Amino acid sequence: MGKCPASTSDPAVRFEHLPLISGPLGHLNAQRPRIMADVIRRTLQDFESGPLDLVLGESLYQERQRLKREQINLFTRGRHKADQRLWSEIQTGLLQSSVSVDRKGLLKQVTRHYADEIAGRFNPEIYKVATHAVPFAFSWFLNAASVRRFLPWGLSESLATRLSIVGEVSHLQKLAQKGTILLVPTHQSNLDSVLIGYVIYLMSLPPFAYGAGLNLFSNPVLSFFMGNLGAYTVDRKKSNAIYKQTLKNYSTTILREGIHSIFFPGGGRSRSGAIERRLKLGLLGTALDAQIEKLRNGSDKPNVYVVPMVMSYHFVLEAASLIEDFLAESGKHRFIITDDESWQSAKVLNFFWKLFSSQSGIVVRIGMPMDVFGNPVDENGASMGPNGTTIDPRKWLTTRGELRADAARDHEYTRELGERIAERFHRDNTVMTSHVVAFAFFELLRSRYPELDLYRFLRLSAEQRTLQLEGFLAYAQQVHAKLLQMEAQGELYLSQELHAADLRAWVDDGIKQLGVIHDAAVVKVAEDSVWTEDMNLLYYYRNRLTGYGGLKKTMGNCGRKGFLE
Amino acid sequence: MEEKAFWSKAKVAVIGAGNFGTVLASLVSKNCLQVRLLSRSEEQARAINSTRLNPSYMTKLSLAQNITAFSEPERVFEGGVQAVIWALPSQVCRQEAKVLAPYFGGDEILIHTVKGVEEGSLKRISVLLREEIPCPRIGVISGPNLAEEIGRGEPAATVVASDFEEVVAAGQALLTGDYFRVYPGHDVIGVEWAGALKNILAIAAGAVESLQLGWNARALLITRGLAEMVRFGMAMGAKEETFLGLSGVGDLLATCSSPLSRNYRTGLRLAKGESLDSILQALGSVAEGVKTTRSVREFAHAHGIDMPVTEGVYHLLEGKLSLQEIIQLLMTRPTARP
Repeated sequence: MGKCPASTSDPAVRFEHLPLISGPLGHLNAQRPRIMADVIRRTLQDFESGPLDLVLGESLYQERQRLKREQINLFTRGRHKADQRLWSEIQTGLLQSSVSVDRKGLLKQVTRHYADEIAGRFNPEIYKVATHAVPFAFSWFLNAASVRRFLPWGLSESLATRLSIVGEVSHLQKLAQKGTILLVPTHQSNLDSVLIGYVIYLMSLPPFAYGAGLNLFSNPVLSFFMGNLGAYTVDRKKSNAIYKQTLKNYSTTILREGIHSIFFPGGGRSRSGAIERRLKLGLLGTALDAQIEKLRNGSDKPNVYVVPMVMSYHFVLEAASLIEDFLAESGKHRFIITDDESWQSAKVLNFFWKLFSSQSGIVVRIGMPMDVFGNPVDENGASMGPNGTTIDPRKWLTTRGELRADAARDHEYTRELGERIAERFHRDNTVMTSHVVAFAFFELLRSRYPELDLYRFLRLSAEQRTLQLEGFLAYAQQVHAKLLQMEAQGELYLSQELHAADLRAWVDDGIKQLGVIHDAAVVKVAEDSVWTEDMNLLYYYRNRLTGYGGLKKTMGNCGRKGFLE
Repeated sequence: MEEKAFWSKAKVAVIGAGNFGTVLASLVSKNCLQVRLLSRSEEQARAINSTRLNPSYMTKLSLAQNITAFSEPERVFEGGVQAVIWALPSQVCRQEAKVLAPYFGGDEILIHTVKGVEEGSLKRISVLLREEIPCPRIGVISGPNLAEEIGRGEPAATVVASDFEEVVAAGQALLTGDYFRVYPGHDVIGVEWAGALKNILAIAAGAVESLQLGWNARALLITRGLAEMVRFGMAMGAKEETFLGLSGVGDLLATCSSPLSRNYRTGLRLAKGESLDSILQALGSVAEGVKTTRSVREFAHAHGIDMPVTEGVYHLLEGKLSLQEIIQLLMTRPTARP
């Protein structure tokens, strides 16, 4: 794989006005009734042999619990009411004998309700408007933020330096012609969902269907755009079996129809700030299910290609509430955060303002495309095995001489795929100056208090959180040297700024960029000391470098106690 | 049964015509259509095909008509096989896997019988095979399976373990015989590590035997040895209960009490003062435990896993301490760590 260390100066995709590409999603509206019917039929089939009373009863209980906890606002009230109505009817039905009320009918009613909630309504016209509006909006922010780049060509140039799309872009573009793409991004912020649509457009790919959290749909403007841009809803709060099965069947069906898709394989946003290591296998397995069906149907483009995508930010809008949630959960005091904080428009505006005014960048790296088993795929779409062999997916899906689905086997394949994706997430991560500053500062400070557990460590007093600048710089240099070594071994990528030879240059950049969005300074420097004003945020940004074994080993003397790794 | 019916029409390749490969070929031949045995030399293959006896290994075991030996891999994989049984010593696994990789179609069931790990990297054989061969459905068989006894038709049992249910089912269908039972397992890590680690203890058992130390000493060795096998295995991700099964304590008891084991014989002769080089030369075949001891000791040191018996075997192999000195060291260790 080609290395691309100069990530921010030489992006694989440059900003310009690109033609819109139409794709299979364009026909989604026409196919919607058929797809819905198919999803409902399959879901009914999946539950056919089981005890329906039990399945419905458990789902009823779980949904009642969820509805009780749900916080209602103006935008979610309608959906909440509809849910309540449905489950009241189901309850009434379940109370009568199965002779007078058919359980299958009840199941069908629930499935239809869910399928309708999940399914997106793509509108090509709105897609056209939206993709053109986004660059204009970006330009507007840029205009306001940086007057010295007022010239039109200057505008587009500096946007390219903000958002770089690097990695296997042309590979992905070629594969999109040869099969169905399942793009699996890391997930840090609600902004990811917005950014993704734009990234797809910038890569000259046809529109993708994407699974976005239901909470994003509570904002009517966003909901209108997202829904019409091909988003379907994924509600992580619905944990009942019927919902999960319906969602899986929806994803399988659209992939089987050849519609390129995106969903976050880690589930929700990373709470700790770390790159996802454990993925949700249920939805991920739909790639394999779709490929098996396509092979059995004799489709001319049967392959599903799984493409990892890693987004790196200097700051995350909702970092504070994410890490709070993470710490609360790890400390076993579970509570549910209100999800919508990141969508307060002032905060979003502030984010974009900071993004442009601070010369901060976002790096999006497209990882090595894989087949549904996690094997690398070449540019012709063929799966590559070890020792120069080519893999025929049909053979891997043949059990006792027959090409077919096999629940136990496919679960194991998907588990392996999940591991490969998590591996690629770490390898394709672009480490930025702010991440290294946060990591070095946290680790050095941590080594001073080896006897404290994490929770007490995070409550150090203001004086205790201060380090000598000189010592910090020396330590940062050590970390940096190790990171360079790791990059040479292909374990991660470093941003362009981190290739600067001058230690102070990148450290200063990192301190400046680190969590610049927040009210408190995450790391601050004055004269000969460095300190932090917010330990939780420091921990959050430090965690971006969690899960790199090599890094942990060299920095091993830093207290292990209470580390949540 | 669907499984049995499928395999009764299947072709199975057995890679390696050593003791265990030959015995397994014989077992499998009763449950499938055709067995193709890959042998190292053309002569050996020819001899097997004409005399129905392997001239160098298991020389008394008469091989059924549906077993054919080849020396070229092309012939073994010609037209495809449904299962591959991998019975090679660990030292050659990496290199042979690279050579054989292109012959695999990808739909085969691959089961290995190797009781060892890759030297240096400490990679388990199933991991190594997965890295080199484009065939994901891999399993391992292991247990108290001294080839000579199985060849004579004496009752025995083994464990087939895999992450894939169908590999376990295939292993059971292919290997089960009138006097050979096959138990299902899922802890691949545990089964593979138990098979590798017990070789270290077999060397120790041989050494103890040379001094005629008696039953107490032998029981002490096996019990404390098992404890450190579990410690190491669990550090590698194995499940504790696997070590209580056939592939753990079962294999350990058979290897530590049988003079047939090569590792046991190595220990026996070392304790009598022979040099390691001359023993290995005389044995003619590999003693897996020798290399495993060095790699395991190194790893255990690096990760703080307490393995006194392995440490003792290491010193015995190095030849710097006498067996008496090692025993004294072991006997004077504190019995409980603070």
